[in-house]
Amino acid sequence: MQTMVETRNLRKTYSRPDGSTIEAVKGVNLVIRQGEIFSLLGPNGAGKTTTISMISGLVAPTAGDATVGGHSITAEPMAAKRLMGFVPQEIALYPELSARQNLAFFGRMYGMRGKTLSRRVDELLEFVDLADRQNDRIDTFSGGMKRRVNLAAGLLNSPPLIYMDEPTVGIDPQSRRRILDTVKMLRDEQDMTVLYTTHLMEEAQELSDRVAIIDHGEIIAMGTQAELTQQVGEEDRLEITTGGQDVGEALIERMQQEIAGLTRVLYNPPEQIGDNDSESTPARLTIFAKRGRTALPQIIQTLDAAGIDIQSVEVREPDLEAVFLALTGRALRD
Amino acid sequence: MRKILAITAKEIYTVFRDRNLILLMFATPLVLSTIIGLAFGGIGDSDVPDFAAIPVAVVNHDEGVDLQETINLQDQFANLDALPFNLEDIGLPSELSGFGPNPLLQSGSELNFGDILAGILLSQPITGTATLGGAEFDVAQFECTLLGTPEETGAASFAAEGSLDDLLDATAVHDAKQARAAVESGEFAAAVIIPPGFSRRMVPQFAFDEGGRLYTQPADETGSVEVYANNGRPISSRILHSIVAGVINQFERVNVALSATLETSVNTLVDSLAVGDVDLSAVNLPATAAALQGLDATTLEPLGCLIAPGGNNVTVAQQPLVALQEAPPFARIIVPIGAAQAVFFALFTGVFGMNSIYEERKYWTLQRLIVSPTPRSYLLAGKLLGNLAVVFLQILILQAALTLVASLVLGVPTFIWGTNIAALMTVTLALALCVSGLGVFVVGLAKTPEQVQLFGPMINISLAVLGGAFGFALPEQAARFSLIYWGVDAYVDLSLSRPDVSLNILVLFCQGIALFFLGTWLFKRRIDL
Repeated sequence: MQTMVETRNLRKTYSRPDGSTIEAVKGVNLVIRQGEIFSLLGPNGAGKTTTISMISGLVAPTAGDATVGGHSITAEPMAAKRLMGFVPQEIALYPELSARQNLAFFGRMYGMRGKTLSRRVDELLEFVDLADRQNDRIDTFSGGMKRRVNLAAGLLNSPPLIYMDEPTVGIDPQSRRRILDTVKMLRDEQDMTVLYTTHLMEEAQELSDRVAIIDHGEIIAMGTQAELTQQVGEEDRLEITTGGQDVGEALIERMQQEIAGLTRVLYNPPEQIGDNDSESTPARLTIFAKRGRTALPQIIQTLDAAGIDIQSVEVREPDLEAVFLALTGRALRD
Repeated sequence: MRKILAITAKEIYTVFRDRNLILLMFATPLVLSTIIGLAFGGIGDSDVPDFAAIPVAVVNHDEGVDLQETINLQDQFANLDALPFNLEDIGLPSELSGFGPNPLLQSGSELNFGDILAGILLSQPITGTATLGGAEFDVAQFECTLLGTPEETGAASFAAEGSLDDLLDATAVHDAKQARAAVESGEFAAAVIIPPGFSRRMVPQFAFDEGGRLYTQPADETGSVEVYANNGRPISSRILHSIVAGVINQFERVNVALSATLETSVNTLVDSLAVGDVDLSAVNLPATAAALQGLDATTLEPLGCLIAPGGNNVTVAQQPLVALQEAPPFARIIVPIGAAQAVFFALFTGVFGMNSIYEERKYWTLQRLIVSPTPRSYLLAGKLLGNLAVVFLQILILQAALTLVASLVLGVPTFIWGTNIAALMTVTLALALCVSGLGVFVVGLAKTPEQVQLFGPMINISLAVLGGAFGFALPEQAARFSLIYWGVDAYVDLSLSRPDVSLNILVLFCQGIALFFLGTWLFKRRIDL
């Protein structure tokens, strides 16, 4: 398979008002092949958007380079940009213009005009099922409809590569499902390469051929889902939420010694929400075990004996969330 | 280029689709101008101008000028030694004392421009004190024969067109301090104070240099006429200022022409004598001197050109008075008020139009444009051109709307902006460039949109105060710092059929281009993410 995107030691450093600097992306190296859906998975603030912004030519890298279809984004930005479409996280549309006017305007920015542009706009309006609302202003659309026009605007130039930066943020489940299906269709029917960023493990699992997990500006793991889950072995993950009692180090140590199959125990104590003392997140105990279901009764017994209230228990198969947790000690939602 | 135009068209379209913005851009200045126009100009096209009988004090201290001193050939004879030939060689005595005083310009030949100016303002017969060879002549009787007769030239008439009598209620006052105090007390709208050296300043001083060449000495700068205005009556003061400036301008133009002619003629004569083309030995000097003593008023004929309308291409000076008297009061007042309001509100469009770049960043449309294969310079050019076009259209539409309002109020179609459409468009374009350039500069200078929203109105209001958009006038030296002054001044001139707005256009274009380049340089940073 041909390489569509390649980054070499891509870095981005921002200056703070106090004169200090922050390294948002710390030397990212990626290879994305033609026709695959490649997801950048990571929590908010991990550096996903900065990475995608550098690859798309939106911000200049502090160091390193990226190529799109063999064209350097720094040396030949226009050639690289002709090969890509962009679907940002925000609704990047003019609210006072209609859906059709928005698509026609952005189409002109890709050098399209006349009947070619008009035909392409018609196709895309049909594609996102908004032909009947094409002359309505964007600010009269629902969130899901805006997202669909936002997606259509990224497809105007029929690009071989499309960037999608968390395109399902803040929309209803029905619209979300529609967008996810569209992404798969773009790959399957149009052989399009998709670079998709998300902080939702489920989306990355459903869509991706390959995934790169990013945290604190660094790629900490990359590969197919099978390759990544292998990193955490065949372990199950037990998610136990507890009451307010403190699960001490000693109890965790005792559980690891006494219960067979436990490989790792992580404890997240309750955290206060806002200024109100009465509101806090529940304490969470994450236990990795070779045979989770077998070990579960003994775990419950031990916690009960230690006076810990158990509020819920969930047994999960190995997934990307588990990979992230195993690699960072934090959940993606953290 | 197509991409730039697409961005420009989008900018214009989005602005004109925003009803709130339309209300701010057009309805507000239109309503304000109309209310002010109706309040001060009234309804209808009364033949009696609303600004009739502007009370004016005229103080004339002009001492006149002695032509003998002015064209001071006698005192310059010492320099004749430097002539490129010997006087004896051309038939003249080596000592010119026998030639005697210049018979034409003997002492007592004087001219008083202050009297002429005061006479015009006071609508009195012009009784100039021009004397020649001891005889006095009535300056008002002079005709400018350079123009030929009205029948020959097709000119309507050489007689003064219109009278200032209806427009000004001028009173001669003898003391400048007293006149200023009366202006401050509101008795007069303004005072015209003609200084003692006014005529000396107006009449060129001739002298021979050491090479025997005739040249014009610099005018005495102390003789400027002062128009002391009451700040509470800016329009009346402005009208008076225009009248005075027009008359003086007429004097100066003729003087420039006369001095150039005299210099050229004398120097040509000297050159001819030097090469022997002219033989003066045959001239009977005593007889010539005697003949000169007998000259009549026709000798001073060129002075007629100072006064006659149409003389030496200075017809423009007379036209404003006619236009002022013919234009209905509402039409007269709506031009400066409406133009000032149009430019003032356009300033906000200029600043906030450019500030939309922050909106585009916020809504990520700018990012989408940057990711497209469109160079950032195109984005910038499209944005700037769009802003320029919006400001240009805003001013034009307001002018059209004000014309419509004036026509409705007056009951007849009245194009209030004058007939020089090309100049009108050029001024509007220059103004739009300046306003838009200021917008780019302010947005480029500010670090955040909040700063733009703070500093933009502050700068705009300061310019409006300086430029007189709020109805009170600051000293002209201060007003000149405001683009509103230059714009409104040009529009008023054009509405009064004064074609010379080139300085206004030049100032606006230069200011606009400077602000545009400086602002663009600063603004580039706003496109970097």
